[in-house]
Amino acid sequence: MSMVKLVNIRKSFGDLEVLKGVNLEVSQGEVVCIIGASGSGKSTLLRCLNQLERISDGEIYIEDVLSDKRANNKDLMKIDPVTVQSLCADLGMVFQSFNLFPHLTVIDNVTIAPLIVKKIDKKIAETRALDLLSMVGLSEKKDEYPSRLSGGQQQRVAIARALAMDPKIMMFDEPTSALDPELVGEVLATMRQLAEKGMTMLIVTHEIGFAREVADRVIFMDAGVICEEGSPEEVLLNPKEERTKSFLNKIL
Amino acid sequence: MLNEIQLWAIVNGTIVTLEIAIVAIIFGAIFGVVVALGRLSKSKVANTLSWFYIWFFRGTPMLLQLFIIYYAIPIIYLDATGSTFTVNPMIAAFVAFSLNATAYLAEIIRAAIESIDGGQMEASKALGMSYRQAMTKIIIPQTYKRLVAPMGNELIMLLKDTSLVSTIALFDLLRTTKTMASATGSWIYYIYAAAIYLFLTTIIQVVFDKMEKKLGIYER
Repeated sequence: MSMVKLVNIRKSFGDLEVLKGVNLEVSQGEVVCIIGASGSGKSTLLRCLNQLERISDGEIYIEDVLSDKRANNKDLMKIDPVTVQSLCADLGMVFQSFNLFPHLTVIDNVTIAPLIVKKIDKKIAETRALDLLSMVGLSEKKDEYPSRLSGGQQQRVAIARALAMDPKIMMFDEPTSALDPELVGEVLATMRQLAEKGMTMLIVTHEIGFAREVADRVIFMDAGVICEEGSPEEVLLNPKEERTKSFLNKIL
Repeated sequence: MLNEIQLWAIVNGTIVTLEIAIVAIIFGAIFGVVVALGRLSKSKVANTLSWFYIWFFRGTPMLLQLFIIYYAIPIIYLDATGSTFTVNPMIAAFVAFSLNATAYLAEIIRAAIESIDGGQMEASKALGMSYRQAMTKIIIPQTYKRLVAPMGNELIMLLKDTSLVSTIALFDLLRTTKTMASATGSWIYYIYAAAIYLFLTTIIQVVFDKMEKKLGIYER
C-alpha cells in the first residue's frame, strides 16, 4: 500500500512556478529524505501534502484515498474541511522553527491537539504524552514553558506533539536547520529512533550524513522537479546527474 | 469642606462615570473580538461590514454618536411611527460608549492577532485543528498579554471621555463638581474632581501593570 502518492504536482506562487510536475510514491515504513538547494521546492512539496499550501495542478493520495485534485488552481473535487482535517491529522509535521505553542507548558503542547481535535479523555492523553516525552527524553521538562528549553529540546517536544496525534506519516521540514550545531545530534537521534520503529517518514534535510544512514531512498530536487532518486548509495555516493554532483560538491 | 449632600452627589457622579467606562470596556472587548475577526476574515461581506463599522465609529466625534442615539433616534422614530419614545440617558450612554469602544478595541485586537507568528496557525492546522479551534485555543490566548497595555490605555481614555454625558442630562463626576463650583463660586470642587480621576486612573494603571506581568509568565 502506498502511504502517499503525488501525481504530477505543480505549484505556482503568482508567476513563480516552484513545483513543475512532481511524481512521488512513498510506501509504508519507508524513510525518504529529500535534499536540494534552497528554492528547489522541497519544503513546498511537504506543505502541499497537508494543504498548508494548495497545489495548482495534480493529485494527492493519502493511503490510496484521493485528498486533493486540482487543475489551474481550481478544485476538481469537493473538499470537505472536516475530511481535510482528519487527513492532515494523519500527517504529522515538524517545522524548521519548531512552532511550539509558547503559552502552553510542554505537556499541554503535546496534549492539546488530542484533547480538542480527537476529544480524547484528559487522563489518557496525559499518560500518552508522558510516554512520548520520555521517548524523546524530556519527561522531566513537562511543566516548563517552551521558552525555557533549548532549541534541540523544543524540537524534540515538537516531535512528541506531532506523534501524539498518532500520525501514519511524519514529515520533517528541515528540522535541524535552526539549531546550534551541538544540538543537532539529539534531534537526529530522536528521528533515527522513530525510523527504527518503522514510522513512514518524509524528511527535507541538509544533513547528508544522516540521510545516508537512515534513508531508504534519497530524492534530489532541483528547480521544482525530482532530478534524481534512488538508494542513499546511488544518489549520495555515485550520483549520475551533473546537478546532483555539483550540489553535493558544494555542501560536502 | 463638603457637606453630606455634596459628598453623596460626588459619589453618585463617580459611580455614573465608572459604570459607563466599565460597561463600555466589557462590551467593547466582546464585540471588538467579533469585529476584529470580521476584519481578518476571508469573507468579503464580514470584512466590508467590519471595515465600515470601524470607519464610522472612529471617524465621527464621540459626542455626535451620543447625540444620534439620545436625540436623533427618538425623532426618527416619531417621524416614522407618529408615536413618541424617549431613551433613558444612562442606556444611551452605555450603548454609545460601547459601540465606540468596540471600534477602537477591534483595531487593537486585530493588530494583536496579526502580531502572532504565522507558524502558530500552521502548526495548529498541521495538528488537525479547525480555524476556530486554532483561534480560540492557540492564537487569541497568546494575544492577552499584548492586549493588556492598550486595553488599560483605552479604559483610561473612556473614563475621562465619560464627561461627555453631561450633554445628555446625566450627572457624572465632572458635571456634578462643576455644578457645585458654579453654585458656590469655589474652585476647590475642581480639585476634588481631579483627585478622584487621578485616583481611579492610578488603580487602573497599577492593576493593568500587574495583569501584564502575570499574563507574560510563559515568556522568559
